[in-house]
Amino acid sequence: MKIKDTAVGVMIALLLLTVVAVILLGGTAHTPSTGIRPLAEFYLKHCINVYNTTWWTSSPAAVTSMLWDYRGLDTYYETSVFFLAIISGAALFRIAEVKLKAEEGRGREELGLSIIVKTSTRIIFPLILAVSVSVALHGHLNPGGGFQAGSILAVGPLLLIASFSRRYLEDRLRLSRAKCVALFTVGLVLIVLVAALPLAMGGALMQNQPKYWSPKSPWGSLTKIGPLELSGTIFFLDIAELFAVGFGFTLLFLLLSMPEKEFRRLLGL
Amino acid sequence: MILAVSIMAFALTLATIFTYFAIKSKDLVKAAIFSAGQSAAFALTFFLLMAPDIVLAYVAVAVGIYTVLLLYVISKTERYEEGER
Repeated sequence: MKIKDTAVGVMIALLLLTVVAVILLGGTAHTPSTGIRPLAEFYLKHCINVYNTTWWTSSPAAVTSMLWDYRGLDTYYETSVFFLAIISGAALFRIAEVKLKAEEGRGREELGLSIIVKTSTRIIFPLILAVSVSVALHGHLNPGGGFQAGSILAVGPLLLIASFSRRYLEDRLRLSRAKCVALFTVGLVLIVLVAALPLAMGGALMQNQPKYWSPKSPWGSLTKIGPLELSGTIFFLDIAELFAVGFGFTLLFLLLSMPEKEFRRLLGL
Repeated sequence: MILAVSIMAFALTLATIFTYFAIKSKDLVKAAIFSAGQSAAFALTFFLLMAPDIVLAYVAVAVGIYTVLLLYVISKTERYEEGER
């Protein structure tokens, strides 16, 4: 036992040494590079360049502008794949809501973890919601965006399920599975609408700011409303993605936390 | 620069230690918590590598969602791993 452990330790140390030596000797070419690569330089130079708007996206967040403008269709397909995955997962769990409720006879109060956990969850839950909404609303200005905000939002219901119970979420907060599906679909429909509107108004599909080869986008003039920076479609897409990702994950957690015994009996297994 | 690199080295060493304990631990719940600690160390490294977008998604997914999913899976099976004696 001792010799084996020592041998494993020596081997790991040797492996680390070899990796460090390879990197130091230049075996991996330019990583880590100290300068900015030409591709990154191009995006950093052009994403909020007000003096030369041929390539701009009107959003100072380079990553978000790449996600929703330069490579908008990629993110669109990603969201569709996510939607299909969640929906097919939900299809596996199709049983009547009423039936399941009748099966669960226990009181709500005795479920869940200790009072310390419950109280700290009560304090943390609104903070998680606030952070996620602010990450989504500032996604076009700061680091962050729809997916990040959605995954932060999903942690809130997850905490509630873990420290209270699934029934607390479904009965007290009235966030049933049907409502989750509805909000999730609202997010996706919003994304599709925002993607298709420029097409209907003479632009290109999923267009935000017009590039030099493309027709003028109706969102091109919508970079600002009063003092509010909007960055064209990016603002709306971030909010829609918050709904899609956040409630998609929440739906998944609600389904996963269903009591297995009752679920099996209902399906006749 | 030096400070960032040394904090990064510290975080990555911490991540290695956490990974070692996550693998060695016979208590699967403890292993999941160690894995979350490793993710937190990685998140710090991502932040120092100037990738705040990654940090926001990574913290939520790797520390929150992934850990709780693992705990859920463990609750379906046994908590303690039977090792060779």
